[in-house]
Amino acid sequence: MSERILKYTDAVREATDQLLEKDSSVFVVGLGVSYKDGAADGTTSGLAMKYPKRVLDVPVSENAFTGMAVGAAFSGLRPIVHHGRVEFSLLAMDPILTQAAKWNYMFGGGNPVPITLRIAVGRQWGNGPQHTQSLYGLFGGTPGLKVVIPSTPRMAKGLLISAVRDNNPVIILESRWLYKVKQDVPAEMWEEPLDKAKVLKKGADITVVAYGDGLVSALEAYDLVGKSAGIELIDVVSINPVDNETIAKSVAKTGRLLCVDTAPAAFSIGSEIIAAVAKVMPLKNKPVALCTPAVPCPTSTALTESYYPTKVDIANAVLRAMKKPDIKHVLTFEELHLAPSITLS
Amino acid sequence: MAIISRKNKRQDVALSTGALLRAYEKMFLIRVAEEKIAALYLKNKIMSFVHFYIGQEAVAVGVADSIGLKDKMLGNHRSHGHYLAKGGDLKRMVCELLGKEGGLAKGKGGSMHMVDRSVNFVGSTPILGSVVPLSCGVAFEQKYNKRKSVTVAFLGDGAFEEGVIYETINLAGLFKLPLLIVVENNLYSVNSPLKDRRAEGHNVAKIVRGFGAKYIKADGKNYRDVRVKAGKMVAYLRKGNGPGVLECFTHRHMAHSAPIFDESSRKEDVLEKRLQQDSIKRLRSELRRAGVSEKKLASIESEKIRYADESIAFAFAAPYPKPETLYTNVFAR
Ligand SMILES: Cc1ncc(C[n+]2csc(CCOP(=O)(O)OP(=O)(O)O)c2C)c(N)n1
Ligand SMILES: [Mg+2]
Repeated sequence: MSERILKYTDAVREATDQLLEKDSSVFVVGLGVSYKDGAADGTTSGLAMKYPKRVLDVPVSENAFTGMAVGAAFSGLRPIVHHGRVEFSLLAMDPILTQAAKWNYMFGGGNPVPITLRIAVGRQWGNGPQHTQSLYGLFGGTPGLKVVIPSTPRMAKGLLISAVRDNNPVIILESRWLYKVKQDVPAEMWEEPLDKAKVLKKGADITVVAYGDGLVSALEAYDLVGKSAGIELIDVVSINPVDNETIAKSVAKTGRLLCVDTAPAAFSIGSEIIAAVAKVMPLKNKPVALCTPAVPCPTSTALTESYYPTKVDIANAVLRAMKKPDIKHVLTFEELHLAPSITLS
Repeated sequence: MAIISRKNKRQDVALSTGALLRAYEKMFLIRVAEEKIAALYLKNKIMSFVHFYIGQEAVAVGVADSIGLKDKMLGNHRSHGHYLAKGGDLKRMVCELLGKEGGLAKGKGGSMHMVDRSVNFVGSTPILGSVVPLSCGVAFEQKYNKRKSVTVAFLGDGAFEEGVIYETINLAGLFKLPLLIVVENNLYSVNSPLKDRRAEGHNVAKIVRGFGAKYIKADGKNYRDVRVKAGKMVAYLRKGNGPGVLECFTHRHMAHSAPIFDESSRKEDVLEKRLQQDSIKRLRSELRRAGVSEKKLASIESEKIRYADESIAFAFAAPYPKPETLYTNVFAR
């Protein structure tokens, strides 16, 4: 088959289009989703024309429209709710964490809530402390939610399809940083498991676990040192639940573990994984967690340039774990501050 | 050309030509400063998300001229104009946009986070609606400590759809707090027009009055109208009557964010109409009619242009924050 190189956002758009087409109970709701430019990020562009009345722009009332979607979901519809930044979804935490996540359980089953929430998280230049949080732990630590992080365009499509077809609340945390990343994406519809980590690169010496923007940096680090350092690279994919089995299996082979977080270390995905692995096996290295500092992400580029772990930081952390010398590699301003538009294999 | 109604004429008495001229100076400075910032943005010199205030200047200046230094102000994502109208420092503002050490927030905040306690500009937040309950708290302190001052919260018509605002109008009414909520209704939330966001029959005046709060509507493209009505509102607040909502109808000239002129979603507020109703242009004609010479106006304008250039040059030459300051200020000492 010929290659279909799609941007991350186009992969999301295509999955949404196919879901709308196949299932009349699916609808999309969120600020600006009916715009020509598709919620300003392109993920819904053109869909309102194709499915009028099913792709709905709404008032700036997150609590109300998210609550409405939850109610519609337990009445049998399959809403896809879009929040352009995780901070906006925080105005709707009651319907998400306290209502949708508990509904089926607290009524003793038989009350499914088949809602999907697409929530954008994380870094973007110039956005600063109130527009760049990741808050993975908030969703990852709430029973009753399934939570996934698509790190590539293919995963963005496959996970969205699974999420919408699942009978439970699924939170998709999309790293805005990855919106321009490209990849070959199959045209047909398929489902990616919502609870399985993925081994992306095989290696014998060190397990590197990453997700979202950090996963793409880890792939770039792999290009720098991966083969010689024996990296086995795992995409976390699901953070509720974390697929500790796949990760532990890899670490049992390599004996070494490095986690890449793009959030502060406390209550992070990396810390969670290190704890889970340490419970079941001894390690050859002290497990390493790369992460951001425990401060909000500022705006000035003079301060953000050292905020997120880069591909060079990841490569050198791997080399140190392997007791090998560091590489010297200076990143350009663009590499440090602008979202990548690379094509992944 | 502005048509001054009879009713307005009576209220105009207090507004001398001198006062109008000072307002013009402020509005003009906000305009040219942002036009120059827009040019820098287009050259990728500004690594901060910017929402331009151009077109809405009469609102910020009209409201700011109705309060004093001790009165407090808070804003939203589009607050350059609010800050400068409150007596802010353009040099430090541009430093903040460029991420410099000497910026209002030491480079940590950027364009969406104006703050300057020296002029009682308490802060601004881009999380829509949040400014209203926070400002209510600022007003709470004013009443608690028996101050005579008031608090002004600026937000847009989109933000006015957040539920917390209605809770806050009730709360501020219950406690009779000196809170002035200024809604800058520029007809859009990003590209969504009002009709896509509001139920048929939606009526802001009735909603606000239904909470027992005061509501006044103003022409946000007309400095005089904003100034007179904001003045009334502030007088009402100072008497301890409780909160008020001043809704100013206005136009932003540029797209929602970034200095783009995107006309594709505009229906009524087309460019030609916006320019014709532009508050700065109208105030200028009014001043000319009142006898202010062309020469005088031109000299004010060139002085403001010079000052904007000087401020930008100052900010460019200013140092970046030291890397270790990434870790400072998480907690107060
Ligand atoms: C809680 C929240 N939801 C959504 C957004 C995204 N957003 C930023 S500005 C904006 C439009 C706001 O419109 P309005 O309040 O009318 O202000 P204007 O931009 O027109 O000045 C939106 C939707 C946000 N910042 N905060
Ligand atoms: Mg608006």
